[in-house]
Amino acid sequence: MTRELLTGNAAAAWGARLAEVDYVPAFPITPQTEIIETLATWFGEGTMPGKFVSMDSEHSMLTAAGAAAATGARVFTATSSQGLLYAAELLYTVAGWRVPLVLVNVSRALASPITLEPDHNDVLAARDSGCLQIHAETCQEVLDSILMAYRIAEDPRVLLPVIVNLDGFALSFTREPVTRPSLEQVRAFLPPYSPTHARFTAARPMAQGIAVLGGALYSFFRYQMHLAAQNARAVHGEVAQAFREAFGRRYGLVEGYRLLDADYALVMSNAYATRGKAAINRFRAQGIPVGLLRLRVLRPFPALAIAAALEGKKAVAVIDQNLSVGFGGITVAEVASALYQERDRPPLLSYIGGLGGKDLSDAEFDQILQDLQRNADTGHVPPPRLLYTEREDAQTTAFLEVAGKGTRHVE
Amino acid sequence: MRRIRFHGRGGQGMKTASRIVSTAAFREGYDTQDAPIYGAERRGAPMAAFTRIDHAPILERGMIAAPDLVVVADETLFDDPQAGVLRGLQASGTVLANSAHAPALLRERYGIVPALAVLDFTGLVLSHVGSLAALSVALGAATCRVAGLCTSSVEQAVQEELEALGLSADRIERNLDLARLCYERVDVWLPVQPAAVPAPVAVSRPQVVTLTYQGPWRGTPSVAAPANTPLRKTGNWRVWRPVIDLARCTQCWMCFVSCPDGAIALDDADTPHIDYEVCKGCLVCVEECPTHTIHTLREAEV
Amino acid sequence: MSNEPKAYRNIKDLAREELILPGTPLCGGCGGLEVLRLASKVLGERVVFVNAAGCFTLLALFPYTPFRGSWLYTTMASAPAGAQGVRDALDILRAKGRLSPEEDLQVVVVAGDGSTYDMALSATSGTLHRNLDYWYLCYDNEAYGNTGMQQSSATPFGARTATTPGGAGGAVDGLLGKKDIFEIWRAHRPPYIATVSPRHPIDLARKFEKAKQLKGPKLFLAFAPCPTGWGYDPARTQAYARLGVECGLFPLKEAVYGEVTHTYVKRTWRPVEEYLRGQGRFEHLFEPVRQEALLHLLQEGVDRYWAGVPR
Repeated sequence: MTRELLTGNAAAAWGARLAEVDYVPAFPITPQTEIIETLATWFGEGTMPGKFVSMDSEHSMLTAAGAAAATGARVFTATSSQGLLYAAELLYTVAGWRVPLVLVNVSRALASPITLEPDHNDVLAARDSGCLQIHAETCQEVLDSILMAYRIAEDPRVLLPVIVNLDGFALSFTREPVTRPSLEQVRAFLPPYSPTHARFTAARPMAQGIAVLGGALYSFFRYQMHLAAQNARAVHGEVAQAFREAFGRRYGLVEGYRLLDADYALVMSNAYATRGKAAINRFRAQGIPVGLLRLRVLRPFPALAIAAALEGKKAVAVIDQNLSVGFGGITVAEVASALYQERDRPPLLSYIGGLGGKDLSDAEFDQILQDLQRNADTGHVPPPRLLYTEREDAQTTAFLEVAGKGTRHVE
Repeated sequence: MRRIRFHGRGGQGMKTASRIVSTAAFREGYDTQDAPIYGAERRGAPMAAFTRIDHAPILERGMIAAPDLVVVADETLFDDPQAGVLRGLQASGTVLANSAHAPALLRERYGIVPALAVLDFTGLVLSHVGSLAALSVALGAATCRVAGLCTSSVEQAVQEELEALGLSADRIERNLDLARLCYERVDVWLPVQPAAVPAPVAVSRPQVVTLTYQGPWRGTPSVAAPANTPLRKTGNWRVWRPVIDLARCTQCWMCFVSCPDGAIALDDADTPHIDYEVCKGCLVCVEECPTHTIHTLREAEV
Repeated sequence: MSNEPKAYRNIKDLAREELILPGTPLCGGCGGLEVLRLASKVLGERVVFVNAAGCFTLLALFPYTPFRGSWLYTTMASAPAGAQGVRDALDILRAKGRLSPEEDLQVVVVAGDGSTYDMALSATSGTLHRNLDYWYLCYDNEAYGNTGMQQSSATPFGARTATTPGGAGGAVDGLLGKKDIFEIWRAHRPPYIATVSPRHPIDLARKFEKAKQLKGPKLFLAFAPCPTGWGYDPARTQAYARLGVECGLFPLKEAVYGEVTHTYVKRTWRPVEEYLRGQGRFEHLFEPVRQEALLHLLQEGVDRYWAGVPR
């Protein structure tokens, strides 16, 4: 066991190394590239037995990853954003093959406009695919989640790919202290991959991933995937328990921060949840009972855990670092669905913030708190709001002028 | 509403047949809806098509689960559980089948209970037009008769649909003759429907079930059984049967080598034997046999 | 694959056993299926076919499979990448002692021209560049067959397809020629490329047997006459395969590390018209009016090709 400074990308690479993955098909994209560069070095120098291969596209990369898993190997790969969407078809395909693998997504906002900084529209676009999703807040959690992900994915009650998400820049390139377990410790926690149903050998010919015609048959197989994903809640619980016993760190489907005795709650995910925790501390110092619910496992969707965590809260503000254009925040809608059947469900306030890695300032958290308090006093639920400051507005206006768009005018 | 469901194999023209009926009814002033349903664009695979005809706007979609009339272009589909030819057809319904066999034989062989009209449409088509593609017109016209549509509508529909398919005026004319012939030959009609009286809703036990997790072995569309396609018995596809004259066969291997499906096996004496359970009747073997030792028989007569 | 290569002198040297069983949903008279069947007799049972979307995807339709070997359907664009994953995984499992040598398999991509000529170029080029040890069999019926015969970049000059329907008076939309996929592959200098025909089983068997001795990508472009798409009686599939070769339209050749040899050459080829006649997709070249200029162009294209081939 070693304690050192690691970037999120380095932590991801260590996750793959400690899981002793057999195969890494790769394709570069900012901001994940450091992961595959690190792995290429380790495979190249013989530290990791197995194979690293540079593929011709993310679509090919994920095909190779799934096919290798279907053959019986433990597979790891990584991508972001445009790459994830280029491979989108394979997310559904490989999940349908019911083979385990871990795909690290280093989240990056989607074009257009093309950019490099993080938000969650990329990983959330995969939410219907059948791939499970774990979203990490810290570099430690990245490494830990990858180890747990293999154990969850390879469990015969699950057998689905798992996406582990970490924010670009905020985590990928940011170093912070990480406790890196030893290989022996990990081996005690994570047994080798022993394929149960999906493998290719001469003695036992198999036709995999084949065509199905007939709605009843198709429905059956799709629904089995769903049931497997549902199983993953309990399996996650077992794996998290074993992880805690092995390494001392504790993970749930969600994380509550100063939430139990709170009147108000913020709901966030990923690295910006740290910002949220800082805001909570600031508010608490002023005597305001606010807490934070961090969503960690997005698929399977932890509806019961969310409902339990938000029970009795006077008002809840959900900060979505994503935007479903023409609809609003994705997470707030999913949280609403978790609360809908509850008798005493709290009002939900919706905020879009941090798109394209936009900063979340104290002033914006203050605005949210103000809205929560006003709601408690008057019952007023404000319409969904984009968090955007005066200063940013002025800056944008200035840039538009530089771009030859003239001064602001009202249509 | 008349609900008509057509069953055939890809390439037998049931989609066109359903459109002929739909167009005829439409031209006669009805509201109609027609659609095909097939797995993939393949010759020989079972497919179905639907036509709904009503005086009022049609508020139904998708597969017809309770047809009044079932039209069957290929009798071997009666045996195919996946085709579900008779599914949902009440005893008060009607079946129109393409077969050279007598109705009584079909009834017995396939357990057909409702009113049954049988004609050798294939024979009619081969003798009058020469191309099996015209089966669409033959069955389409006959169906129109059963459904109570008039000749002028049928003719108009055949004209329209065949023009849309790009056939020459010449060929359309011959198809129109065929249509009239088939229309006349039919001797069964759908019973006249009484004015719409909502049927009492029978209280029944719920049929919706809950699926449980089956594990990845059963829950994934993979096949672990070794090569099992012969179970599909594609011998059902044949219109013509190739028959090897074993006395004249020179054991040259050509037919065995040439069969794309591998339906011909060689015995220890190198004599070829066609597996009629799976032979699709493509007749490549007939064409390739260097001594012209393979002749053909109409499958319906076997 | 270090066994003594089998000699194929006549058709009775072909294996009797069927490794792809009958009863599939493919059309009767499918030229592509004939190629796959013949190839499988040489490749043997220990294979995993990796498939791209196309007609052959329907070979394995739940709950049936015709193969004595294994099969993985991937996507339209990435079967070669799937082959990469399977081959790599098999190699890794062997190296780590998790798979014994007897359990190893040959990896064979099976794809139509739609995938091969268009969507899968990136994935294919990647495997050639990486010198992946696998087989690639393209059954070329010169259009997107499974979706109803739309134009692909393998559709020959002058052919009618669902998206090159031709105008009134015999004019043809399809004035693009066939992409030369053989040359595209050959630019990568893989160990082996060959063209094969269903009607030339000895030539085919020899080529597959020869390729067995080579490690790296082994690509096969198969002439796949298609009765459903080309508009002829299924019984004539082999006849058209033979005509295509005899008219010089489908050269039988191979390229070993990029060096080309033709395996069937004649002094004079039969007129291309003999091949074109009787196919519904070329009917407009003859009826209602002979398209002399287009027929001439087609013949000229063939003549030009053979003029460039050393005797």
